[in-house]
Amino acid sequence: MKKKLFNVRTLLILLAIVALFVVSGWLGLKVPAPVVSIKSEPLFHIGGFTITNSLFTTWIVMIILVVVSLLATRRMPKDVQSASTSDLLPGGLQNLFEFIIEALHGLTKGIAGHWTPKFFPIIATIFLLVITANWIGLIPGVGTIGILEHPHEVSEATAKGATEFTGFVANGPILTAEPAKRAEEGYFVVPFFRSPSADLNFTLALALISVFLVQYFGVKGNGAGYFKKFFDVSGFKRGAFWGFIGIFVSILELISEIAKVISFSFRLFGNIFAGEVLLLVMAFLIPYLISIPFYGLELFVGFIQALVFMLLTLVFFTLAASSHHGGEEHH
Amino acid sequence: MELAAMRNLAAALAIGLGAIGPGIGIGILGSKAMEAIGRNPEATGQIQSNMILGIAFTEAIAIYALVIALIVKFV
Repeated sequence: MKKKLFNVRTLLILLAIVALFVVSGWLGLKVPAPVVSIKSEPLFHIGGFTITNSLFTTWIVMIILVVVSLLATRRMPKDVQSASTSDLLPGGLQNLFEFIIEALHGLTKGIAGHWTPKFFPIIATIFLLVITANWIGLIPGVGTIGILEHPHEVSEATAKGATEFTGFVANGPILTAEPAKRAEEGYFVVPFFRSPSADLNFTLALALISVFLVQYFGVKGNGAGYFKKFFDVSGFKRGAFWGFIGIFVSILELISEIAKVISFSFRLFGNIFAGEVLLLVMAFLIPYLISIPFYGLELFVGFIQALVFMLLTLVFFTLAASSHHGGEEHH
Repeated sequence: MELAAMRNLAAALAIGLGAIGPGIGIGILGSKAMEAIGRNPEATGQIQSNMILGIAFTEAIAIYALVIALIVKFV
């Protein structure tokens, strides 16, 4: 390994990085210190409805998913029974997506059993949507290209005791690192795109859908008896003590449903938002060089979070739909 | 101390201290799962999916700390 450390390719890469440092120093391409915004910024309004940049990006994710699924199923024969073998042979994009869907289907079947046909469409949709939403935030330009706007929340920020933020001086369409003297001269960037998962609204909506569907499948599997676990008074038959324990357990069950929403939404939001901040900080510590391994890490985290969201939804569905007579389950 | 400095410190402490427990928990989970895979390599798939589930529940506690930190910092 030691011999290979200084071959032509590595030297060229090293030279290119040094050249990037020198060139960006010459051109004076100093970027302003990043402004981390925890909520998504409004881009434009339709009627009285505010379109934020993360909602806009969610639409793009949806368009990507629709177009890719249309392209992947284009060559699929309409009538599978009468199609010849060569017609059924998948190729290219269709092959890739058949592999993904088959892997997901196998995973679902292993956990859900005979509920697979009911659960699989929802589970697979959640996985594909979340993984696309996570990875779209890693594309360069997402979160950095946007409209220049005057900071209008200055008074609010200073009132809270934060240091006064006046924005930065803009040189044409490019923001410079020079802080503005007054708020009227300063600008900051409102990005066109923001990863949907880095916005709490998106993850909260997904979490609510998931938890409501858990209740739906619980009723579907057990009838109205599913709700008995939230109002358990059967313990009173054995005395007041067991009755109160039953009521306490029911309250815990109710709280755990609400905690599910919180942990679902904040797990995804926290991981992706923290990942974006991490990439930002690393890019400002040592430019060009140090953020590369963290990009790999973020790709992995995006995949794992999509998988975890999917798996947890699937397990909650299965727990709710299967019968509750075998005692309570712990989670 | 200033209010802003106090806020930053409180947020950092909230997530920093809150991450200790889940960190230890995920470490134990991972080590036990590796042990189990080493003993019984045929069950790798099942152990892995159960491990990820366990990690997700352990991680939820760190997420509550993160929520508190975000509330302290931004609200």
